[in-house]
Amino acid sequence: MRLSDWQAQVQAYLLKPDAQPNPALQASLLGSAALSAEQGLAIYHNAYRARLLEALRGDYPAVHGWLGDEEFDALALAYLAAHPSQHFSLRWLGAQLADFIDGYLIPAQAAPLSELARLEWAFTLAFDAPEGQPLSLAQMAELPAEDWPSLQVRLLPSVQWLACRHNSLAIWRAGKEQDDFPGSQALVEVETCVVWRDQLITRYRSLAADEAAALQGMTAQGWNFAELCGELAHLGEQAPAQAVSWLHQWLADGLLQRADQAQP
Amino acid sequence: MNAQRGNLGFGLGLRSTYYQAILEQQPAIDWFEIVSENYLVAGGKALYFLDAIGEQYPLVMHGVSLSIGGPHELDRDYLRQLKHLAARVQPAWISDHLCWSRGNAHQLHDLLPLPYTEESLQHVAERVRQVQDVIERPLVLENVSSYLRCADDQFSEWQFLAALSELSGCELLLDVNNVYVSARNHGFDAWAFISNLPKQRIRQLHLAGHSDYGSYLIDTHDQPVSDPVWQLYQRTLQHLGPVSTLLERDDHFPDLDVLLDELNTARRFAVQALQGTAQCA
Repeated sequence: MRLSDWQAQVQAYLLKPDAQPNPALQASLLGSAALSAEQGLAIYHNAYRARLLEALRGDYPAVHGWLGDEEFDALALAYLAAHPSQHFSLRWLGAQLADFIDGYLIPAQAAPLSELARLEWAFTLAFDAPEGQPLSLAQMAELPAEDWPSLQVRLLPSVQWLACRHNSLAIWRAGKEQDDFPGSQALVEVETCVVWRDQLITRYRSLAADEAAALQGMTAQGWNFAELCGELAHLGEQAPAQAVSWLHQWLADGLLQRADQAQP
Repeated sequence: MNAQRGNLGFGLGLRSTYYQAILEQQPAIDWFEIVSENYLVAGGKALYFLDAIGEQYPLVMHGVSLSIGGPHELDRDYLRQLKHLAARVQPAWISDHLCWSRGNAHQLHDLLPLPYTEESLQHVAERVRQVQDVIERPLVLENVSSYLRCADDQFSEWQFLAALSELSGCELLLDVNNVYVSARNHGFDAWAFISNLPKQRIRQLHLAGHSDYGSYLIDTHDQPVSDPVWQLYQRTLQHLGPVSTLLERDDHFPDLDVLLDELNTARRFAVQALQGTAQCA
């Protein structure tokens, strides 16, 4: 058998659910007294699944904990059958799990589970995202007063923005703390959650609707600081104080870089 | 011989479990081997510790996904990232495995053995040359533990490694534990494997533990090095002289001190083994 044909046979064997080799593959192998060809093949067959399931369990501990071993593995194997690994690094194996869940389960079941999966994947994205150039409170303190109105900022590359419609954060926290998982609940209002890396620590925070709108306005819609204050005009004299308070918080969190230093 | 090989001494596979302990304790480890793929990322903790540890210790890059024997085109993006990482790390050398880990369609994420045929030899040698053109240094290739043997084999594994090294200019990473595991599984003589490799091409040795399943062994890297592997290691050093030695542990991570003790065992066994050869010389 040509090398590439043999490799195609081995690949097909590893990917199929059962560990029964086809006759051509079996005939291409020699067993020994210690290890038969079937045993040898089965070692690779088992290792393939074990390695990939371990990677997905590692990336999705809350989804795994919430579903339990059996249901998680069934979901993960269905996912792997639909999305065999395409990247050389297992780090990217689970990239499409949330989208897969949306198509795999009925919507009522899929929505909370895929949201939890998106939240967990956000942590992996924040974990090793590029550094960017964080704008610090110390740098802001040195900013001349006349430059404040025109100040524009962007989110740092690690910042992941999630709109949660379910109590996914509570479920994630229960998983982290190894508490009993709460039941799934739809939220009355959509909750914005940001996940990011501050120095080497991955962090998360929920934002109230007005703060989320302000941060989104500045970092995605391009408002400068004066425009942020303008958007808060309904607060009257309190508008600048609120804008400064939020900006201070975002800088202390380590969410921002200057717009003119952000990568396009 | 020692200088030619650039003997780094006794090293440990760098794993994230030990990042903090290494920086705090600054243990007496001569060098670290990194798994290259763990650092082909844009930022974060892994790169931070890589830089910090790299300031204090020599590093070697060891990859697991080159798939040098695969049926696919070489992954140029992977090679570009590898070269970029090498510019950051300044490794003493760059290694991967004589295996394939990717099929035509998908990544298989395992170190799959090749048929040891003339066709495989030409295929792998050409790809080694392509890789070496990119990384601008000899590629170092490791023998893998294997659980399959092909009926069409025209070479033994050691004959294949020797021929590949001759054809392509690659160097060899001799994993003593892998030789032992494969020898037990396939019923060949481990010493015949080691003693028939081209001595001058052996850049580095690996030591690790395996799991015993009765009639066969699996290379699990989650155990201490076994006694028969220590014996084979000593015999290897008597044959080769001093060679950079690396201890690997990939699961059931003990405290760093336990691995330091195991590395000191390697040092002690190496002294014993090499005393004999020094007297002969």
